[in-house]
Amino acid sequence: MNRVFTWQQVAPDQWRNKISELIDSGFFYFDFLTGVDRENIDGQADCEVVAHLAKPDLSDSRIIFTQVKSELASIADLAPASSWYERECAEMYGITFTGGDTSPLLRHEGLGRPPLRKSAVLAARVLTPWPGGAEPEIREDGRKVGNVSRRRQRPPGVPENWLSP
Amino acid sequence: MKHSFIALIEDKCTSCMLCVRECPAWCINLDSHTVEVTEEGARRPKKVNVLDSFDIDYSLCMYCGVCIDVCPFDALAWDEHRALTSTNREDMILSIADLRPSGSS
Repeated sequence: MNRVFTWQQVAPDQWRNKISELIDSGFFYFDFLTGVDRENIDGQADCEVVAHLAKPDLSDSRIIFTQVKSELASIADLAPASSWYERECAEMYGITFTGGDTSPLLRHEGLGRPPLRKSAVLAARVLTPWPGGAEPEIREDGRKVGNVSRRRQRPPGVPENWLSP
Repeated sequence: MKHSFIALIEDKCTSCMLCVRECPAWCINLDSHTVEVTEEGARRPKKVNVLDSFDIDYSLCMYCGVCIDVCPFDALAWDEHRALTSTNREDMILSIADLRPSGSS
């Protein structure tokens, strides 16, 4: 089945209103809710929260999203299925859903940055030698005599000061 | 074309390191050195990269094909070799001779 998804952006303070409006107009199958890290949208917001609601026969659906800094009103009382997604989103993106279930799903508290944010550094990426750091060497008679040196390369996802602690 | 293997066409590789740096799984290791080649009629000798080794660690590779996409010289290509199985990790690392495309000797 080919369906065209209709995307619509709402203001964060209209989030609950819009969801309840959609539920009342027949889109009461709550499919999912997730976050998208956009890293500083015009200095106003960091994350998008995206939710997909559909008619129960899947004949029509709506994807709505909103841009938030770190807080959004929970919709768990309007669509109970969203509670699990909100907890996941809170853990992975560090968004607080006010009025919702705040109990953690998988992570212990105090484990640093939420792991799906772009600012979360993967420790394994820092500890593992990066094969891309190698440069072709100039050799004479099998002896290394110099480097074809360019700007020092850094692996993607590793901040600059992590390579030389 | 099956996407079951990534083959290296050694002659086309210029050791530019693009595939190594773009690989999200960090599974490609490349070693090369530079030699100066003086072509007839050229004023100055030019530097040419010579490929020493090229290894794909198939225990890390996730067959995303990013290396094939980024290669500007089409030195990497999908191939119809079977996926590998082994009981130890060292056997999963394939070098230039093992990475030849099927049909070439």
